[in-house]
Amino acid sequence: MSIFIEQFLQALTSGIQLGCIYGLMCVGLAFIFGIMGVINFAQADFMMVGMYLVLAIVGSLLASSFLGPVAPFLAAFLIAPLMFAIGYLLHRWLIVRTTGLRIANQIEAHQAQLILTLGVALILQNGALILLGSAPASIISPLSYSAWEIPLLFDDFSALFINKARTYDAIICVAVTLALYWLIRSTRVGKSLRASADNPTAAIYMGIDVDRAHRIAFGLGTAIAGVAGGLIVLYYPVQPLVGFDFLIIMYAGVVLGGLGSLIGAFWGGFVIALVQQLATLVLPLQLQNATVFIVFLLVLLLRPQGFFGRHVERA
Amino acid sequence: MMALNGTPAADTPLLEVRTLSVAYGRKAVALNAVNLTVPKAGVVALLGANGAGKTTLIRTVSGLIRLHNGAITGGEVLLEGKSIAGLSADRIVRLGMGQVPEGRLVFKNLTVEENLQVGGAILPRATLAERLDAVYDLFPRLAERKDQAAGLMSGGEQQMLALGRALAASPRVLLIDELSLGLAPLIVGAIYQQLKKIREHFGTALLIVEQNARLALGICDYAYVLERGEIVLAGPAELVAASERMHESYLGARAERQAAAG
Repeated sequence: MSIFIEQFLQALTSGIQLGCIYGLMCVGLAFIFGIMGVINFAQADFMMVGMYLVLAIVGSLLASSFLGPVAPFLAAFLIAPLMFAIGYLLHRWLIVRTTGLRIANQIEAHQAQLILTLGVALILQNGALILLGSAPASIISPLSYSAWEIPLLFDDFSALFINKARTYDAIICVAVTLALYWLIRSTRVGKSLRASADNPTAAIYMGIDVDRAHRIAFGLGTAIAGVAGGLIVLYYPVQPLVGFDFLIIMYAGVVLGGLGSLIGAFWGGFVIALVQQLATLVLPLQLQNATVFIVFLLVLLLRPQGFFGRHVERA
Repeated sequence: MMALNGTPAADTPLLEVRTLSVAYGRKAVALNAVNLTVPKAGVVALLGANGAGKTTLIRTVSGLIRLHNGAITGGEVLLEGKSIAGLSADRIVRLGMGQVPEGRLVFKNLTVEENLQVGGAILPRATLAERLDAVYDLFPRLAERKDQAAGLMSGGEQQMLALGRALAASPRVLLIDELSLGLAPLIVGAIYQQLKKIREHFGTALLIVEQNARLALGICDYAYVLERGEIVLAGPAELVAASERMHESYLGARAERQAAAG
């Protein structure tokens, strides 16, 4: 019995830690969808780019020797502006052609957006394969090995190990999510982003440059994917097609939380990680992802609008 | 064009449309040499039936005509003497043209206060707070509801919000498109009373685009009548209201006469 409790607490802990990262991943996707209505298939591959960038920064001797064990965490933040710029420019050159007010036919526009972001995803994946090869790579911070050991009270041998690197990752993810939430709720930029999402025509009438708002939103969403990737690379080896592992989780999480809701998306990702980790207690490891989909299907059946989905509209 | 006595203003007008022609695509001419002037703090009505070109004129003045595949083929649009034709819509708003679009188009998922803040986002922070207080003074109803999502308000309240939102930016001229559409007559009457107050409170000039001629003529100083893309009648409100043509087509005299004859 005590063994089971110990295992349960251990799985719960890693579920919570991983849940915060999944949460942030989902937030990035939900943010772009919420503001622009674009379903970004390249989101998971932006994570892959973020993972490689952090790998490159930390891998350089200079950074590691200066920054020591916190180098990977700092690197994840350093790449944020770069990822923002990538997203911003990508929108300016490509995505804008399939979005915004100039696009008359919304349905055709959605098809174009899907194909375009899918194309970007393929270019990123195959570009990475050509440039970096298919061998997985990973980085390790001394913090990856160290853990807080919390003795469990029921006997002298059991203890809960809380990995330090994963805990820092989780804290940063929560902080970034809260910062984004604050940005979108309380700042001027955030309010114009929400106004552009709510009614683009009216936003123009209020003097808002809607295309610019979309560029900022796409840049921010890309930066978040990069940061999430930069953080997860500490315990998840990166290879060019690593995005597939995350893509499904992201979509399931966002739908679970209710499309368009940031906090909902975070909880969606969080729940998926919990289910995934707790399932390892009773099911073979290979069925981890199957449980994710069972929960996902149940939610779709019972609460298709997601946990946090809602519509403020008067008929 | 039939011009009745009286010119709007002697000095530089706030908004001036000079011999403006607009066409959609290569085919349809939507506006033909239209002249229209809104003086400082003046209230001007643009009247006309469906399809007369009112919306095209509004789109052109607001900078949205290209979005609808239209183009200016001649003439000028001047805001305080400076040409604004060809500028993007958001630039024009920043230059002092407030918009109360047809259908109200409030931000439904934002609260009333957030709607007003977005409306006034082009102002410096310090002035915005003052301005919002002034808007709340004019529309106390909005103050009562300021934390409510705009989409949950009634149509009349949303129209008030659309007005307040445009006023939040301290515009010099307010473009009000089909305010009465889809609202109960009683509510429309109340909102028109508020329009009078807007001029008194803020000194904002108003360009009111209306299908309901009787309503608009009740509060404007000067009116233009648009028919098939041309201004067919222009003059001070009382003269326009009294004119034969107006009675025939817009104020229902013909229908009354027919009813009397029948």
